[in-house]
Amino acid sequence: MQGIVATSLIGISLGAQYALLALGFTLIFGILGVVNFAHGGFYVLGGYIAYSAVSFLGMPYALAVIAAALGTAALGYLFERFLLDRLIDDHLATLMLTLGLYMMISSGILITFGPQSPAFAFPLTGVLRAWGFYVPIENLVVLAVCVAGIVSIYALIYRTDFGRSLRALADDRAVATAQGLRPKVLFPTAFALATGLAGLTGALVTPILSLAPHVGDPVLATSFLIVILGGLGSVSGATVAAFLVGMVEAFSAVYLGGSKGALALFVLVLVMLVVKPSGLFGQRVRGA
Amino acid sequence: MSVTRKNLLISGAVFGAALAGASGAAVAADQELKIGVVGVLSGPAAQWGLALKGAVEFVAAEANRDGLIKIGGAPYRVSVVAIDSKYTAEGAAAAANTLAGQGVKFIIGAIGSPEMTGVKPIAKRNSMLVLGNSYAKDAIGPQWPLVFHVGPGPSGWADPIIKIAKQKFGMKSVMMVAPNDQGGTDIATVDADAYRKNGIPATEEYYQRGTTNFAPTVTRIMNAKPEAVDLASSPPGDAGIIVKQLRQAGFEGPIGRLGGPGYSEISRVAGGDAVLKDFYWYEPVVIDEKSQQIADDFKKLLGAERPENNLFFQWVSGARMVVKAIAQAGSISDTEKVAAALRALPVTDPNLGSGHWIGKEFFGVNQELSFPFGIGLVTGGQLQPIVRVEAATGK
Repeated sequence: MQGIVATSLIGISLGAQYALLALGFTLIFGILGVVNFAHGGFYVLGGYIAYSAVSFLGMPYALAVIAAALGTAALGYLFERFLLDRLIDDHLATLMLTLGLYMMISSGILITFGPQSPAFAFPLTGVLRAWGFYVPIENLVVLAVCVAGIVSIYALIYRTDFGRSLRALADDRAVATAQGLRPKVLFPTAFALATGLAGLTGALVTPILSLAPHVGDPVLATSFLIVILGGLGSVSGATVAAFLVGMVEAFSAVYLGGSKGALALFVLVLVMLVVKPSGLFGQRVRGA
Repeated sequence: MSVTRKNLLISGAVFGAALAGASGAAVAADQELKIGVVGVLSGPAAQWGLALKGAVEFVAAEANRDGLIKIGGAPYRVSVVAIDSKYTAEGAAAAANTLAGQGVKFIIGAIGSPEMTGVKPIAKRNSMLVLGNSYAKDAIGPQWPLVFHVGPGPSGWADPIIKIAKQKFGMKSVMMVAPNDQGGTDIATVDADAYRKNGIPATEEYYQRGTTNFAPTVTRIMNAKPEAVDLASSPPGDAGIIVKQLRQAGFEGPIGRLGGPGYSEISRVAGGDAVLKDFYWYEPVVIDEKSQQIADDFKKLLGAERPENNLFFQWVSGARMVVKAIAQAGSISDTEKVAAALRALPVTDPNLGSGHWIGKEFFGVNQELSFPFGIGLVTGGQLQPIVRVEAATGK
């Protein structure tokens, strides 16, 4: 029983981090119809902005995290507004653009900071231990921020006019535009929101794991897997799938081992694609 | 256009000029000895590749400074072509192919087992001489007569390190933790055998390469209750996270890493020596005044600090041996002649000391360089001086 609870705690912790990442990824696809291959790049960039703010500017970590979220959001805004927006309906072009941006971000970081992991530690250390369980304090803080982030995104999407506008654009861009909504303003803002989330997650998670130019690769793969499982473009689907993936990853790795654990995750996605190709909460395949 | 005498003369002149240019270029190209580097230059193991690249660039600069390569009395300039193998077999094979396409006959690297698996067939097909690393069980062998090993794998150094670790920490069981590909399993199994031969039961646990959060793996390790954990050839970035998460989970035992250097990055990622607590690892060289001289010369010749990872020194000694063999063989294209010269060279380096050619017992060929090496130790959170061990023999 103790093992199951301990593994569940790991699963929840992983799930919350994945959810924050996957929400941004699915928002971009749901609203803009773009598969953002640069998502992992924004995660790494968030980590490096926070690291630079702490190490070179002497900022407190909390401010550095905010700076990372704002910095990645600003870059996302500019990228969408001046590059992506011109080719927004050309899926192949947007794919190449986002992939190119990812390469530019990772290469830029590699050239600037080098390939080795810098010393970037979470400001709070220590481990809470009780009844045979342990939880690192840093994981609890990250979990709390992730949950707060997820709740805020839900409130923004489902309880504000801005969110309603985004959902209207996702639902039917032509009708929404005819009703007076302006994609030229809303698309870059939505993109900025999503990249800001990736940057926020990077700034939060890299100090508790490690920061290096390549750490965005698995993030992209996991985000992709989650949104496919949850249903491309579905905010609820991404959230549920993120926690599901976190749990499957934790339980399979603990009880089956690392190699079989990784296999279990892909088997799950494979089964889902066979049984319900649109994913857990996906309703229809988005038209080209 | 009609064919007139004037046109023919002009065409002939142009053709002749082009030929002269081409042969001039060929003469210029012949004055250069290109040494290829196939190594991981990005990703979590990039530290190893940068050490390799830096070492070969340094040896090339040394050779150019001393005018070491002279073929038929003509001086040859040594240049380095480095290609990122991305720590994969396909990346390394592509890199070796590119080098073969550029006419490169000598490859220093690759580092990891998957990379060497990718390089060897290409090198064999193109008669390239390879001085690689890789701790794989088939890193070198009679079927690869032009492939040499820059230093012993765990079969050469695991035993003395385990003896010292056992004496210091007294562990009675160990769990090997490594990535689940050839770069992980080949080393972990050899290390595990070495622990068993020293009376320490060993189990093996593998994780998917690319894992970033090791909390589930750590839970699995804790459930198995080993007295010690050995991270074998886990990349330094991964090893640092595993150490940190093991200590957070309450693991108090010693942690080893019998898979290569990388202490600095592991300590940095884990959160310092206090987190490492009791830690032991393989150091390819002992940094003393003589080896430090290489770092000083590196700065003078290349105007930068030497790469951080200590594999750098091992690559310097290996690359120097290859360059020496090329000079002795007097050929930059006959790799069999250079290989014969290399086998006949005494294993000695002005900075690292003397050693032996080994490998016959484990690999079936005596093509493994063995120099004195070191054992790194952190005890009670305090970094200890590196323990010097004489070059492994007869393995």
